[in-house]
Amino acid sequence: MSAPSPTPAPARRPLAAYVVGGMGLRRPGADAWRTAAITVGCVAVAVLLAGLLVTISDGSPSEVVDALYTGSIADAAGWSQTLVNAAPLLLVALGACIANRAGVFNIGQEGQLLIGAMVGCFVALRLQGPGWLVISVALVAAAAGGGAWSGISAAMYYTRGVNVVVSTLLLTFIAIQVVQFAVLSPSLLQETGIGNGPARPQSDSVPEFLRLASFGQYPDLTIGVGVILALLAAVVLAVLLGRSRWGFRLSMLGLNPMAARHAGIRASRLGGSALVLSGAFAGLAGGVILLGTVFRLQPAISNNYGWDGLLVALVARSRPGLAVPVAVLFGGLRAGSSYLAATGVPDYLVDVIQALLVLAFVVPPVLSALWGRRLRNRSAVAETPARPSAAAPAKEEVPV
Amino acid sequence: MSHDRARTDGPVPALELRGISKRYGPVVACDAVDLTVQRGEVHGLLGENGAGKSTLMKVLMGLVQADAGDVHRDGVAVDVRTPQQAAEHGLGMVHQHFSLIEPLTVWENVALGEPGRIDRDAICADVEAVGARYGLTIEPTATVERLSAGERQRVELIKALRRDPKVLVLDEPTSVLTIAESAALFEVLRTSVAAEGRGVILISHKLAEITAATDVVSVLRRGRLAFHCRTADTSAPELARQMVGRDVSLRAEGAALGLVVTDDPAKHLTPVLQGGLDAVPAEPPAPEAPADVPGTAALALHGLCVAGPDGRILLDSLDLEVATGEIVALYGVEGNGQATLGDLLSGLMAPDTGEVRVDGRAVSLDRPGALHEAGVGVIPEDRHRSGVVLDLSVADNLVMTDLRRFSGRFLMRRAQIRAQAEELVERFAIRTPSVDAPLRTLSGGNQQRVVLARELSANPTVLVAAQPTHGLDVGAIEDMYARLREAAAAGVAVLLISTELEEVMALASRIAVISSGRITGVLDVADASPQRLGMLVGGEAA
Repeated sequence: MSAPSPTPAPARRPLAAYVVGGMGLRRPGADAWRTAAITVGCVAVAVLLAGLLVTISDGSPSEVVDALYTGSIADAAGWSQTLVNAAPLLLVALGACIANRAGVFNIGQEGQLLIGAMVGCFVALRLQGPGWLVISVALVAAAAGGGAWSGISAAMYYTRGVNVVVSTLLLTFIAIQVVQFAVLSPSLLQETGIGNGPARPQSDSVPEFLRLASFGQYPDLTIGVGVILALLAAVVLAVLLGRSRWGFRLSMLGLNPMAARHAGIRASRLGGSALVLSGAFAGLAGGVILLGTVFRLQPAISNNYGWDGLLVALVARSRPGLAVPVAVLFGGLRAGSSYLAATGVPDYLVDVIQALLVLAFVVPPVLSALWGRRLRNRSAVAETPARPSAAAPAKEEVPV
Repeated sequence: MSHDRARTDGPVPALELRGISKRYGPVVACDAVDLTVQRGEVHGLLGENGAGKSTLMKVLMGLVQADAGDVHRDGVAVDVRTPQQAAEHGLGMVHQHFSLIEPLTVWENVALGEPGRIDRDAICADVEAVGARYGLTIEPTATVERLSAGERQRVELIKALRRDPKVLVLDEPTSVLTIAESAALFEVLRTSVAAEGRGVILISHKLAEITAATDVVSVLRRGRLAFHCRTADTSAPELARQMVGRDVSLRAEGAALGLVVTDDPAKHLTPVLQGGLDAVPAEPPAPEAPADVPGTAALALHGLCVAGPDGRILLDSLDLEVATGEIVALYGVEGNGQATLGDLLSGLMAPDTGEVRVDGRAVSLDRPGALHEAGVGVIPEDRHRSGVVLDLSVADNLVMTDLRRFSGRFLMRRAQIRAQAEELVERFAIRTPSVDAPLRTLSGGNQQRVVLARELSANPTVLVAAQPTHGLDVGAIEDMYARLREAAAAGVAVLLISTELEEVMALASRIAVISSGRITGVLDVADASPQRLGMLVGGEAA
């Protein structure tokens, strides 16, 4: 208790909460419609800006759209690539959903993913045994690695109060160095040079029988185990976050830690485990990339999947169900970007377009909240009658 | 309205509001309100929550544009569209919720919002000069977060007075002050008014203050000017009736309204301390209260010590017992450890030493939720902070402390939650569009009912109610009082933590007084007089 405070002003949701989202229990109201309308407007602006960018970099917008379409969803092969890209994005996003619900904002998925890939690679290359067993252990180890990495942040936060955003971010840069070191040390993971070439900074390739299976053959639709895993996780998590006691407690903790404590929740345990779990999902994504597509540990293996996955969660407002289509969209953009070279437009333009899209989805709730707050402030000035008739219950918070 | 035409003739009024109307959609906040403030006059503005007081003042301060009506200063019509214009026209206001920046110093807060170059020394000198002139001594280099509520208000007052306002508006200035601080404040208002011919508008819903400190009083009811009169010509019961629009019993509602009838309104608030309360028939103590049955202490606090992070002693070996079916009030001035005790009994913190026993069993205070499981229900002082989750639904808020009861192995039992919520909404008359509505959309009184309903639905042994009526309007306050009495009658040990003397006298059978984190005395309500309580509050033995 510090100096006495006057009667509490009605608490506001912090604006950041509108970005992170994470309260799956609210019905759509006027706010939701306003947000939807603003979103449509913002996406239109983003598409317009993207077209403008393409035009001034001497490209033709229609060709770019065509290339993106061809590369992503024009045919089965495109879809296959889109889904392969979407799986790790979705896994990372699911983890971010958990942490965001609990009110701990993990932004270090890129690093957790790298560590996961590294640990998974170590297990896959060193552990002897039947394929299914080694693959399972490697994936679990990858998740454990990512979880341990975010667990460092959790431990620092709950024992010493170190800001989670800062520590998870900075640990990412350490993770990059750790992986660099691992693939540069012959005693650890650097490849055993074959023939006369010098050993490059990457690990040996994971043997064929340890790679994740996929169903279907090119040029038909192929669906990898990673995709199935991510989808399963999304369904389970959607149910758990929306309907389980654990999900309810996470929401409570994220929305009001004090009330949560009063209700018997130990923040360090629940919030800490949420942070570890979110890191574990990122680590699992690393394992899936390693065993599903890249097959060897390289410093660039993360390929921004960590950052982009976080963006998927942001756009999906921390809802696992929404994260699925968003991850597919982002996966499609990634797949399409590889076809851009033919149009003469630099492929990093896709990153710019992607960023514009993220902004178009992330900004509207905040705008809507600001707008709503302004409307409310105007109407809050009107003191609601002391005894509103029972037929018209007070809709807005009555100023006290 | 015949009153408002009967303006005092004579000098040109310092401020005149004519026919101010403001509507928000279907809600008429102000309906052709006239208000005249003479120079050197303290004008009381009374009204319940939502009567239109704040809207009227916001119009005056340029925070809100009126739909109709105009503002005259010294007989000249002025245009007040922004707070800056209001300041130029010599209108100053001290808001109920202080607008101070806590980490900054006093002089920095005073200088805030002023155009031009900031001269630290000049402002510090100003603060001291203004302070000396009005008896508002304050150290200009002190940091605001270390100041008490009374001192903070001084800062606000100095800030307003330094700009030399011709009309000063004070919105509920005493809601956070002690009786002595309130008396001092009114003394300052008198001197500043009498000596300098400023007009003062004093907004309050406490009748005792209005009758003690004002010259003229206007009552707003549902946006209309309901009553206007010289204070000397009216009485507190009359004002109460005008405010509520019906007769008010001097018992529960009297306490709710802060209705402490004083014989001599010319005296400031001191009469409250001089037996003024005798005029109010104090609520007889709950007859079923077995205050002196030994060995039945449902709640026992033993030697609780808590030191703040800065080493300040917040609770100093506090001992207190509450028996089954008894309402014990913990009375004292805000900031003497009540908030710490409230946090402790809400399970938000653990004491350095000491123990809490419920029904004779010690509760391990380190574990979140342990107190709740032991049967302690809490209505926290700041419900938004620890009592509710605003973004969850009413139903979720009603069950959130007993999740295990409402969930299976993994999943929540939605149907069961709904049923429980609907029953509680019915039983506690919670006004909500549906149990799925976010709690945020409920009014303050209904949010408080949600907290009360949840805590009582767990059949607690002990109910701790910390400032349970803070910020509620009269109807909600009456309801809260009835519920607390009901709970005690049903055998719950109720600990009422309150800073409102009237509330304590109306509800409790025993009153424990807290000062600087320790109990300075426990009195049966029959033995408690305002004087004795006042001495104990001041930390002296009575």
